[in-house]
Amino acid sequence: MIVAERKPIKEIIQMIAPYKKVLLAGCETCVAICWTGGEKEVGILASQLRLARSKEGKKIGTVETTAERQCEKEMVEELRDKVEGVEAVLSLACGAGIQTIAEVFEDKPVFPAVNTTFLGSPEGEGVWLENCGACGDCFLDRTGGICPMVRCAKGILNGPCGGTRKGGKCEIDPDKDCAWVLIYNRLEKQGRLDLMEKYYPPKNFRAVKRPGKMEAIKA
Amino acid sequence: MNGEIVAFCCEHSAYVAADAAGKQGLHCPENLRIIRVPCAGRVDIIHILKAVEEGAVAVLVLGCEDGLCQHLTGNVRAKERVKYSETLLKEIGIDGRRVAMFNLAANAPHKFIQAINEMNERMKESGEEK
Amino acid sequence: MQIKMGIFLCDCGGSLKNIDFPKISGNLENLEDVAFVDISHNLCLEEGTRAITSRVLTENVNRVVIAACSPEFCERNFAGLLEKLRLNPNLLSLANIREQCSWAHEGDVTGKALELIMMAADRAQLLQPVETKEIAVNNEVLVVGGGFCGMKSSLELSQLGIRTTLIERESTLGGKLRELEGFYSSQRETMIKAVEKEENIEILTSTEVAGVEGKIGDFSVRIRKGKKETLRSFGAIVFATGYKTEVAAGDFPLKPGVNIISQERLAQLLQAPTPEAKPDTVGFIFDLSDENSRFPTLATLNSALTVKQRWGSEIYVFCKNVKVDSEGAEKLYCEAREQGVVFLKFDEKPTISADDGRVKIEAKDVLLGEDVTLTCNLVVAEEKFLPSEGTKGLSSLLKIRTDPQGFYQEENVHLYPVSSERKGVFFIGNCRGDLGLGRVLTDIFSVVAKIRELLSPGVVAEVDRVKVDPQKCVACLTCIRVCPHNAVQLVQIDSEKVAADISQLACDRCGICAAICPAKAIKFEGYSDEQILAQIKAIGAS
Repeated sequence: MIVAERKPIKEIIQMIAPYKKVLLAGCETCVAICWTGGEKEVGILASQLRLARSKEGKKIGTVETTAERQCEKEMVEELRDKVEGVEAVLSLACGAGIQTIAEVFEDKPVFPAVNTTFLGSPEGEGVWLENCGACGDCFLDRTGGICPMVRCAKGILNGPCGGTRKGGKCEIDPDKDCAWVLIYNRLEKQGRLDLMEKYYPPKNFRAVKRPGKMEAIKA
Repeated sequence: MNGEIVAFCCEHSAYVAADAAGKQGLHCPENLRIIRVPCAGRVDIIHILKAVEEGAVAVLVLGCEDGLCQHLTGNVRAKERVKYSETLLKEIGIDGRRVAMFNLAANAPHKFIQAINEMNERMKESGEEK
Repeated sequence: MQIKMGIFLCDCGGSLKNIDFPKISGNLENLEDVAFVDISHNLCLEEGTRAITSRVLTENVNRVVIAACSPEFCERNFAGLLEKLRLNPNLLSLANIREQCSWAHEGDVTGKALELIMMAADRAQLLQPVETKEIAVNNEVLVVGGGFCGMKSSLELSQLGIRTTLIERESTLGGKLRELEGFYSSQRETMIKAVEKEENIEILTSTEVAGVEGKIGDFSVRIRKGKKETLRSFGAIVFATGYKTEVAAGDFPLKPGVNIISQERLAQLLQAPTPEAKPDTVGFIFDLSDENSRFPTLATLNSALTVKQRWGSEIYVFCKNVKVDSEGAEKLYCEAREQGVVFLKFDEKPTISADDGRVKIEAKDVLLGEDVTLTCNLVVAEEKFLPSEGTKGLSSLLKIRTDPQGFYQEENVHLYPVSSERKGVFFIGNCRGDLGLGRVLTDIFSVVAKIRELLSPGVVAEVDRVKVDPQKCVACLTCIRVCPHNAVQLVQIDSEKVAADISQLACDRCGICAAICPAKAIKFEGYSDEQILAQIKAIGAS
């Protein structure tokens, strides 16, 4: 899933400074699950903005809502009534969602309340770790399902680097596990250690022509 | 609101302690308003922020002592949420000490009164009585 | 539906003199939705019941606000009364104007009392009825652990007609009864025979628990025997997995071997028909490292008496304190003294060394004020009282927390002793810590009473007190992970959607899930966000 983090509040406050009535639009998918942009966080941010504005002796009108998936035009369309009543939109969705809502309501300024950071999975309560770099050339078949491009600090494809610390920790970041130790252990469990002896050429970072586009068969 | 303190009281500890304080005739500041909750873990950040928005002088969450929450993690989560609320308030220039969490047992009415008095003192000092 | 609210004010026998009740009544009467405001002197007594009954039945109100003493006292009574009057008890909202208002402050508190009543009234506007219904439960019980505790509770349950399955991981029943002396060994054969005779008890030896899913009234347990696993269903599970003892080897400079033995080994020797050589002098030592448990005292007293009886040896006990704070312990101690067992009290650790095949103990007895040197043929070492082998693994399987020493939940006073945070899963006996026979028996009778209450036919539970809205649920699994009572599961709603579902029997109504849900999909009726915010907004509004 996509993981995002709320922007520093001062940045957000500055963005919407000129506006008197703002819609805070969250999303019920990825950002809700990583506790950044769901209905709950929309409520908290709205409350903060109202308090901050009133501290300046002024007021701000806030409307709070969420879209089921903010990256779907049809679902964003459902917010039309709410959007029309405000001067600007503050979106708590990921970059894809923000751009979709901005496109559907072209005449309204749309501002990002979050920074989209990475693709990852939850690891225990309240913790999400990056594990995919969207490189377009997946080679998880060779590494027992663990991506060294993202999870190795040096991104090496023929690891380990030789600097692994005690306990299997990364040389660069001792809080992280050495990805290649993880890969070794995984392949050992599966009896496929022979894969570690193969040499892999440098990654093709142009596997995906950016901006990416995918067309499926319309059947 | 007009100078009130909002206190979310867990029904297993603080609410009972507040009752006991009344029974024992311990003097309690009159600006206190108690909201009863089944567990401190029911109290969420938005409740705290909204209480501040409505003009509460201070917002307290009172729950069971460490390790004694009937629901195991309720009081721990409440503490985290109160801490986070402090941060959210500080971020926008509002005194974070306006919100606080206290842990006590049902048989500690004096601790209850102490907590309320402490918050009143704090807010008097900070000058943010309104 | 149009809200029609009835408000009752109680002045507690006229004693709440710092509240102007007529003034409050005047303020409330004119509010929209308020059908009437009644002032009463004693709502909790018969006159109050009559007043409430007559008003509720004639005025057709659908919300009731009562301003009186603390809900801790009166909520149950008033809720029960409303239920009898066919008004859903959840449509009642209480204001505490006695303990937390009239009694809490000097001077006139009419203003605060009015505000508290307004808070309750605004909350009442948003209350919804909560229905109850009968929930079908499986009333078979699984007892894990075939020791004294497991066997005795199975017998008690089976005598109530409850079908019990008793599983034991060893190949025979008995547990520690096989090793202990005195009272326990005499119980052994009688109990095992009794258990085997009971029709209501199914015994499975060499069997363990491999996994537990589900909730009270409906647990799915994977049971493993050797390599074979079967899936069984039970309504409740009782764990009586007991304890183990370990010699604190670090205390003894000599390797525990022939001359320094554990209590367990002593019990084995005492049970042997003809001992190889009866030791002339036997020494017992405890309190070397850990003084917390009363177990070493009891074990020593029991063993010492048996040694005296069977071997007639001279017995010396070295300790810091003889802990007799359990039932029957003082009697044992007196008997031991009468039999000639000598007790020596030390402060500093005694020195233990080998001496020509025997064990030499050198200690300073603080009562004599003298150094004492004793050479024993046999020394029985202190043992630590620990949770039985496999407790750690089992507790993570069950997702139940243990205390710092690894025993089940001895510390949290809020959890009634034999219950756990997972409703329907119970822990009894020494797996909870060093309890002593008296408390073990109390545990057994407690758990039997609780199970009888929980699994009787016609178990009634509230429906949807805490409910997940499947349309809003994004299946992020947060509530499932955080629920301290393991009451939430992921279920298939329809062909397309999965969502969280809260078991009404297992839910303990804490509201942690409702607070944490990122999609605000969980509504806790009575304490919903709206109902809490209504109270906040009512402050200072009048």
